Amino acid sequence: MRLLTHNTLRNNTADAKGKGFPLKITATEIRVEETAPTMEVDRQVAFCKNMLSRLDWPALVQASRDMGIPTLPPVLTDEMAHDTAFLQALYKILMQVHLEQGMLTCPVTGREFPVTNGIPNMLLEEEECEHVKL
Amino acid sequence: MTSRPELTGHASLFYNQKEARKYHSSSRMIGVQREITERAMELLRLDPNTPALILDVGCGSGLSGQILEENGHVWLGCDVSRDMLTVANNTAKQQSQQPPKEESMQQDDSDDEEEEEEEEGASTGDLMHHDMGTGLPFRPATFDACISISALQWLCYSNSKNQNPKKRLLRFFSSLYTVLKRGGRAVLQFYPETADQAVLISETATKVGFAGGVVVDYPNSAKAKKHYLVLSFDRSSTQQQQQQQRPLTTGMHEQQQQQHVTVGSTMEGANNKKKKAPKKKKGVKTKEWIVHKKAMQRKKGKDVRPDTKYTARRRPHKF
Ligand SMILES: C[S@@+](CC[C@H](N)C(=O)[O-])C[C@H]1O[C@@H](n2cnc3c(N)ncnc32)[C@H](O)[C@@H]1O
Repeated sequence: MRLLTHNTLRNNTADAKGKGFPLKITATEIRVEETAPTMEVDRQVAFCKNMLSRLDWPALVQASRDMGIPTLPPVLTDEMAHDTAFLQALYKILMQVHLEQGMLTCPVTGREFPVTNGIPNMLLEEEECEHVKL
Repeated sequence: MTSRPELTGHASLFYNQKEARKYHSSSRMIGVQREITERAMELLRLDPNTPALILDVGCGSGLSGQILEENGHVWLGCDVSRDMLTVANNTAKQQSQQPPKEESMQQDDSDDEEEEEEEEGASTGDLMHHDMGTGLPFRPATFDACISISALQWLCYSNSKNQNPKKRLLRFFSSLYTVLKRGGRAVLQFYPETADQAVLISETATKVGFAGGVVVDYPNSAKAKKHYLVLSFDRSSTQQQQQQQRPLTTGMHEQQQQQHVTVGSTMEGANNKKKKAPKKKKGVKTKEWIVHKKAMQRKKGKDVRPDTKYTARRRPHKF
């Protein structure tokens, strides 16, 4: 599971009432990929620019710390958002740092989602799901 | 594969280890899924110059994701079958360990120096084990787009007493509406067993607020016929008014007469397709095909990697 993915995830059980974010990371095994995903550097930067407004920055800072990366600045400035070198480094953090084994815990309900072989298990029992009216 | 695996029980039981490997290494399957996904991409109408974050629902072994990747996008795949995900995962890990590979399909429009030096590397995809019928577990307005290839029909079947297909469809679509960025589109190709299923699916999508409808390719061929549910947010456009005047999905019967049931802006793409006669399925891309395609792209002045012994080399599936 990439840090990018973590930043998008939310516990959607009914009892979390839409507030199950950010999931707390307990890391057992972390993998840092050496090669960047198939994308030209220009595109990497463009991708980060595209994502910036959607990222929850405090959640990313916390998650990257939980994954052993203390270097992200606590506040995202306008300057950084236009700094190519910074965006390139951000791409690495979002895309190349993987949680291989560990646990994700909902901050509201404590519901746990295990991560094994890099894949988070977000399966829910029918009883846990949000109620829908037909 | 039986003709209707959905009737055999839970998807994760059908797509077990054996089936997952078989699926992922069948050249026929690879070719079919590629063609469908490329068509879905066409209907998505993403700006090719903006790398997007795309959700792939029912990603399976990653065949559909592969096409998103070739188009320079980042994707997140969800699937209910752990065995399919394992195959996808192993393929991705192998890919990141391989020497630079030849990529004929890459849409390299820029002719940057840098990009020549750039080694092709890891997958742009990530994976999650999840059942779409329980609702998508993401923050609102997260994805630029969503695709789903040959998976949605599974939601029409109940695998246990407490699974209600209508509820699961509704939960899926309302969560999809939430997690898509405003202005984003979703294209979901599916195999309805009956006309009623197609109606139920597209009606549920409009019920949660989506605009859009079903595009049917090759409507007169029982074998090649494909349904694409194309969803967007532009409910205020004139196209939408047009849409309100006719039912979202008409029955199969009517579709065959109409050739295409299209709504609003999906019309153009569908009409293009109409002119084409159903193609013979080619399966995997042959070396000749790739060399030809690369030559064509070079002619157009595109920056294409030279042909080498690695061109069209088969990637290993074993692990
Ligand atoms: C025919 S495969 C297509 C896989 C991939 N999209 C492709 O194009 O190769 C259908 C996939 O849908 C998945 N699926 C079925 N029901 C699902 C559900 N409720 N939630 C998520 N995935 C599901 C299956 O596990 C299977 O991997």
